[in-house]
This record gives sequence, C-alpha cells and structure tokens, in this order.
Amino acid sequence: MTAPALTAGPSRRTSTIFVATAVAAGGVATLMGGMLAMWLNFRANAPTRVASDGVSLIKDWLKKDTAIPEVAANTMMFTFVIACVMAQWAVYSARRGDKSHTTLALSITLFTGLALLNAQIALWLQMEVVLRNDTYETMFYTITGTMFAVIASAMVYSVVAMFRMLAGRTQDHDVLAGHALYWYVVSGLFAAMWFVVYVQK
Amino acid sequence: MVMTATETQMTTTTSPEMARPLRAIGRWLTAVDHVRLGASMALSSALWLAIAGVVGAILGVERADVSGAVIDAGALTQLFSLHQFALVFGVAAPLTLGLSVWMLPAQLHASNISLPRLASFGWWAWLAGSITVLVSYLANGGPGGGAERFVELYLLGLGLVLVGLAVEAVAVATTVLTRRNGQRLSDIPVGAFAALIGALGVALTTPVALGTVTYLWVDYVNARVAFGGADFMDNWLGWVMREPQTLLYVVPALGVLADAAVRTAKGRQPMRGVVLVGVGIAATVVLSSVTQQAHVFEVGTSPAESLQSLVPFALFNAVPLLAPLVVILLSLLALKAGKPALSGAFVASFLGVGMIFTGLVGSAAMHIDALSLVGTVFAEAALVYVVYGAVLAGIGAVAMHIGTATGRALPDVPVVLLSLVGVLATVLASLPHYIAGFLDQPSKAAQGYDDSGIVGLANITVALGHLLMVVVVVLFLGLVAKSRRGNSVVDRYQTQVTA
Repeated sequence: MTAPALTAGPSRRTSTIFVATAVAAGGVATLMGGMLAMWLNFRANAPTRVASDGVSLIKDWLKKDTAIPEVAANTMMFTFVIACVMAQWAVYSARRGDKSHTTLALSITLFTGLALLNAQIALWLQMEVVLRNDTYETMFYTITGTMFAVIASAMVYSVVAMFRMLAGRTQDHDVLAGHALYWYVVSGLFAAMWFVVYVQK
Repeated sequence: MVMTATETQMTTTTSPEMARPLRAIGRWLTAVDHVRLGASMALSSALWLAIAGVVGAILGVERADVSGAVIDAGALTQLFSLHQFALVFGVAAPLTLGLSVWMLPAQLHASNISLPRLASFGWWAWLAGSITVLVSYLANGGPGGGAERFVELYLLGLGLVLVGLAVEAVAVATTVLTRRNGQRLSDIPVGAFAALIGALGVALTTPVALGTVTYLWVDYVNARVAFGGADFMDNWLGWVMREPQTLLYVVPALGVLADAAVRTAKGRQPMRGVVLVGVGIAATVVLSSVTQQAHVFEVGTSPAESLQSLVPFALFNAVPLLAPLVVILLSLLALKAGKPALSGAFVASFLGVGMIFTGLVGSAAMHIDALSLVGTVFAEAALVYVVYGAVLAGIGAVAMHIGTATGRALPDVPVVLLSLVGVLATVLASLPHYIAGFLDQPSKAAQGYDDSGIVGLANITVALGHLLMVVVVVLFLGLVAKSRRGNSVVDRYQTQVTA
C-alpha cells in the first residue's frame, strides 16, 4: 500500500536563455550601431576632391576604381530572410513536438549562415581591396569583418540549439525562441549595414 | 558516493597538506557560484585600486614640481592613461558588477545567479584582459606607447576587458529579470533594481566601445590613416572612461544607499516609486555613449543658438545628476520616517553616493564653456570623486550583506570610522584638482603651468589622498578578514524591509 503520488504542479516556464539572448542581442546591436555611426561620421567628414567631370567637388571617400559587387551583397540580404524563416520554423515545429522538422529547420539555418559567410568572403575577394591604402578600406573591412563574426556567432547558436535538440531536449522552446530572436536581430543589423555600406556606400 | 570516492582518491595521491590548498585553488578556478565569483571580482578590483592609488600618488608628486622630473617624460602619457584605465575598468566597473553578482541572489531569494558559467567566463575574460592591459603598459604599449606589438596587445586586452564586463552584465541583468520568484520589478529591493539598470547600461554601451577598439586595432596594424595611431587612442575611447558614462558603472551604489537607508531606518521607503525612477534616470547616460562626444554648453549670439547648445548639455550632463540627488534626498526621508541607529552601511554608502554626486556636478560644470575648465585637471578630479565614491558605497554594500553571506556581520564603529577616513581620502585626492582646474593646470601634463603656491600644494595633497584611499581599502579588507575569525556581531541588516 503506497500513498498516492501528488500530481505535479504546473511547470514553471523559464525564459532565462531568451532574456539573456535579448540583452546580448541589444549589446550586439549597439556594437554594430556604434560602428555604423562612426562610418557615417567618417563619410560625412571625408575631404573633398574634384569629380571626374573636372568641375564639381565630391567627397573623397570611395575610390574611383573600387567596385562593390552588389549582386553578392543583395544575395546576402535575401539569404538572411531565409535564415529568419527557418529559425522561426524551428520554433513552430518544436512547439508542435516535431523533432525532425525542428532539426531540419535548424540545419537549414546553419547552412544559410555558411552561405552568408561564403558570400562575404567572395565579396572581399572580388573587391580586391588592399587594407593598407586608405580610410575607406580600413573601415570597410572592419565593419564587414565584424558582421562576419556576428554571423558566425549566430551559427554557433544554431549549432548549440541543434545539438540540444538532437540530444533529446525537445522541450527547450526557450533556446529556440532565443535563437530565432538572435537571427532576427542579426538580420536587422545586416539590413542596416547593407543599406549604409553597400547601397549608399 | 561520488564525492567520497573522489576525496579518497585525492588523499591517496597527494599529501593532506598539499591537497587542501590545491583543492581550494581548484574550487576557486572552477567556481560558478555567486559568492566566489562576486568576491573574486571585488577583491581583484581592490588590487587594481592599489595600482590606481600608487600611480595617482606618483603622478601627484610628478606634477607638484614642473622642473623636477621623477618619471621619464615619454612614460607620462601612458601613466595618465593607466591611471584612468585602473580607476574605471580596474576598480569602478568590476567592483560594482562583482558586488551585484555577490549580493543579488540573496536579495532576490534565488539560489544562484542566472547563467553562472557565462558569468564565470565574464570574470575570467575581464581578469585576463586587465592583466594583458597592465603588461602592455609596462612594456611601453598602451595609448602613446612606442612598442607597436604592445600597443596592439593593449587593444586586445582592452577588448577582452570590454567583452568580460559586457558578458558579466548580461548575467546580472538576466538574473534580475528572470529570478525574481514572482515579484514584480517594482517590488524588488532597490539594490537589485539598480544592479539591473547598471548592468543593462554596461551591456549596451561597452559593445560600442568594443566597436571602436576594433576599428582602432585594424587601423593600427595596417594603414594608420583613419584614427591616427597610438597617440590618439584615448581621443577615440575617452568617452567610455569619463563622466557621465562612468555613472552607468556605479549605478549599483545608488541601490546600496537606498537599501541601507531602509534597513537602517527599519521602516518603509517613502515614495519608493520615485526612488526607482531616480535610479532609472541614470539610464539616460546610455544616450551619451551613442554620440561618443562631450556636449559643452556655450552661450550663443542669439537665444536660439544658446538653447541649441543648452539642450544636449542638459540632457547628457544635467539630467544624470538627478539620479544620485533623488536617491540621497529620499534616503534621508526614509531615515526621518523610521527609527534609525548608527549604521556603518548607511554612513559608507551615503558618503559614497555624495562623492559620486560631487563628481557628476563637477563634470557638468566642466562642460560649461564660460568656466574654461575643459582640458584641465578638473576632469581627473571628477573621475576620482565618482570612482572613490563607488568604493565607499562598495564598503557599505559589504557591511550590509556580509552577515547574510558569511554569518559574521561587521561592527559598525570601525566601518563608520573607515568611511569617514575614506571620504577624507577622496576629498584630498580630488578637491585640490578642482581648485587647480580653475587655476588652469592642464590635464594629463606635468609641464606648462605655474606650480608655485596652491597648484604645487594641490598636487601633493592629491598624492596623499590616493595613498590614504589605498590604506582605507587595506584596512577594510583587514576588518573583513578579522570578522571571519573573531566573535560574532549582531547583524542589524538581516531583516529585509521592502515597500
């Protein structure tokens, strides 16, 4: 004769990882925001030079022979959309208890991250910018290199989330929601950088 | 069972004399509990305070006589920079974050902080970074340094310090946001709320500085055309080590005062909501990091022009003054409403926040163009006021919480006496430079001013003040160590009173 077990109380929803991700993502946002602000400041204060028409004065910021491969930059922008959709799909699938779809979504998110890094490296190689030349090149490589590191950090997050899912922690919705939030923030930051650095130049 | 097996194995492979310290070191190296992590950061900041105090004293002696050089002229720029780094990233930021880590779980009734391994990483990153920075200074690196590799090492170390502090701040903020055990944010102790505001501020602003460090590093190792090399590094990073940004690092001091007032008065905090708003006002400083520059008020040729200058000045320099002011006034009101008795924690934190307020007032005055204080030692004095004020508040925090943490409270009288000597040290280390600032003694220079009369005396006094502050901290650590061995003292702060 054993005493009847008490029923478990409602499970307490923890959101530690999600909240920590939100705070950390805020920090990453100010990191990139500060760097973009310095970029804009340097661009606004760049010395002027005579334009190719020989008459008008323009900012001596981007050198005449520097061509930015816009196709690669635009492709990166669209790839971020895919990454965000996949990260959100992982959250949706996890809530439905669909482990295989969650893992697949995380794998594709990770793969899109790889594609983004590949595109960034391709962009650097196509530009053939030498780092020892001038202010623009220094700042271009620094800001795009930092974004490269931020994308890599998002991929690390994807790997961690995927391993936890494969290890059987299928109820870790908090981690997946945080993972999706981080990808959203990184995408937003890239969109800002894409507009300032690649479109406005 | 596992523990027993492990201990047995240790005793068979090493002698008991060896095993005990090795185990202690091992526990310390792998610590993820809030007491060890917080205490490690606070103790490390005490070591950095010794460095800051000694360097401050050397600089004071050097500047007392412009004709007699104690230090090589080439090393002066680095010493000034090291002093500033030691005060801000060696003392103020890690001290307040460390104390937050140490006392938050007790305040929130939680078992530990959130993400303890992340917090441990933050502590180690900060420690490694700060040691790297110190080594780089010693090897002719740092801002103004001549050894290129060690200038690069300085930037690496500074980056690590910023990462460490940001990560620690994320852990602190997450703890307050997720481990409140059902309490609303408005119901948690003001100390925990202030820790949250400070942690969010650090987590959001240090990455901005990290971005600047990244730019500086890439530029320094390559073209050196954009940022001007080692001599100009402090120009780009100056905002992160001066007021009002430093208020973000010391916000937890305001919470210590508010909590100490309530516990000392043994009553409720009148107008508690206003106290929370007052602490929250400090968050406006985050805006100043966005601009990364000083906002000086200049009287223009027209009222509109003056207003254009006044608004950013007021937003970035005057509004942050309200944070310590509101907390000071309402803590006095709490005392008036309750039944206060002599309290070391209250005296220390009250004097500490008073010093912070004095520093911020000085900083605001410095940004008034008509006073012509920009570029003088006035700025150094304001920084010393704020940082040493935070140290005094830290003494108050330890006095208030050590009873809960160790079961051994500190006696009030020695804490009060040390706090009074601490205030004397702070005033000696900074007030003379306020006066010298009005007499046009330039900042970060040991030449180019008249050292006769008051200015020479002021610099000697500043040197004495720095040394006295080191003595105060050493004595306080001795008091803490003694309390662990001596007779138990009644812990007057154990009854937690909230609104």
